[in-house]
Amino acid sequence: MTHLTLGKVSVHYDGQPAPAVERVSLDIGKSDSGRGDFVVLVGRSGCGKTSLLNVAAGLVEASGGLATVGGRPITGPGPDRAVVFQNDALFPWLTARENVAFALRLRGVPADKRTRRADELLSLIKLGDAGDKRIWELSGGMRQRVGLARALAAEPEFLLLDEPLGALDALTRERMQTTLLDLWAAAQVGVLMVTHGIEEALVLATRIVVLAPGPGHVVRTFETHFGRRYAAGEPIRAIKADPAFAASRAELTDAIFEGEAA
Amino acid sequence: MSVGAYSERARAKAGESDGFSVPWSRPRPKRAVLSARLVSAITILALLAAWTVSASLQLVSPLFLPSPAAVWAKFVVVTRDGFVDATLLQHIVASLWRVFAALIAAIVVGVPVGLAIGISRIGRGVFDPLLEFLRPIPPLAYLPLIIIWFGIGEPSKILVIAIAMLAPVALSTAAGVRGVSRERVDAARSLGATRAQVIRHVILPSALPSILTGLRIALGAGWSTLVAAELVAATRGLGFMIQSAAQFLVTDVVVMGILVIAIIAFALEFVIRRIERVLVPWAGRE
Repeated sequence: MTHLTLGKVSVHYDGQPAPAVERVSLDIGKSDSGRGDFVVLVGRSGCGKTSLLNVAAGLVEASGGLATVGGRPITGPGPDRAVVFQNDALFPWLTARENVAFALRLRGVPADKRTRRADELLSLIKLGDAGDKRIWELSGGMRQRVGLARALAAEPEFLLLDEPLGALDALTRERMQTTLLDLWAAAQVGVLMVTHGIEEALVLATRIVVLAPGPGHVVRTFETHFGRRYAAGEPIRAIKADPAFAASRAELTDAIFEGEAA
Repeated sequence: MSVGAYSERARAKAGESDGFSVPWSRPRPKRAVLSARLVSAITILALLAAWTVSASLQLVSPLFLPSPAAVWAKFVVVTRDGFVDATLLQHIVASLWRVFAALIAAIVVGVPVGLAIGISRIGRGVFDPLLEFLRPIPPLAYLPLIIIWFGIGEPSKILVIAIAMLAPVALSTAAGVRGVSRERVDAARSLGATRAQVIRHVILPSALPSILTGLRIALGAGWSTLVAAELVAATRGLGFMIQSAAQFLVTDVVVMGILVIAIIAFALEFVIRRIERVLVPWAGRE
């Protein structure tokens, strides 16, 4: 079992009067065989979701508390924690395949080997025949899938997703939710994801952490099981139509808006 | 200069146009009979006609304004027999060689300097004021000093042109580097890229469209510095050819030389735009 742990982490940006996040603890586990946790951070704007994700990524230094991965303090970004952003941040001078193979190229993996691996990942995200396409020839959903494949090519233990579906249209978003679940099952990674989508959080998460602003802190934690039901073979529409799903959604919505004047 | 680069990019984004239509103007339905291109063609033809008429009516003495036919005749003669001990082609080659040698020097120095300005605070502190100091000085002003320092040989000429090219190359590179999206860099770092790998695999390719724009501006600046650089102790080159022709009042060679310089500048611009399309097909499409 490998853990990505934030222990009482605070983030105070230079020049800001108040901290963005104060004493937040999180734990994302990843078992050595099988899948890891899928932790989703939700909350209103300004509650520090992205700050926490950036601390886990090593892109932002915690001003208090300790962030560790596998017991070692996080001192910077690393391929054990691959990040996917809302805007795909793909490299337009490379083809889809070369984008996916980027992490392998950085490690000096020989060309034929990394091409093979990239093609495997591309077919995993159902873009098997788009390897030679340039980035601007792909739709928003396709680009985000290439972004996910590129992150997985680094063979990370944890995937950090910063509103990965935020820029997509509603229908593509629905489809991408199942893609994410499939990848999570196939790649056996622990996931930390930031989202604004309440339904999305319920469908994907094994655990939902609700944050509130001023400064960002945890107000509630939910364990959920809808994603596991999908993994067990239940169709996603049936899960969303389940009255239990609607009840959970209402409860989660209440938690997010708790303490805010209606 | 950075403003110029910006508007260049904006124009590229608006999708190649006549340079006057602004990106925010709506495309109008095609009812205009006269396209911008046609108007340009008519303008040029009208100017040529006015030139021909005024020359043939001798409104102006041929000493001041030779006829187009005379200029063309001179073009043929100089191409074949040469002027001041070199054929037209030799003059062109001499000039192009100086400009390209200077361009390579400007790239070798300017791109790393721009990179330093873009990624490091110290780099910016050191180089920014130097470039801002150098940029507005006309080449003719520092030419004498360079001759005092480096003599009247070929290196001085190349150096004068290279200095004129340095600021556009460096500042465009810096602008491109500063424009690299933070997420792109962060994504690469989280995939395991070291600082050097980020520069090589992310920052430089991201800045390439801007660097190429800088090269285009630099070529323009260099080409216009050419005549100044060839003022002193040159024995070949288009600028030298015009200078000597002017001294002997051979106006048709002067006019012919000016036209050749203009046509080559136009051709260079065209070639660089082609290169841009091949090297950075993604520019303006992200």
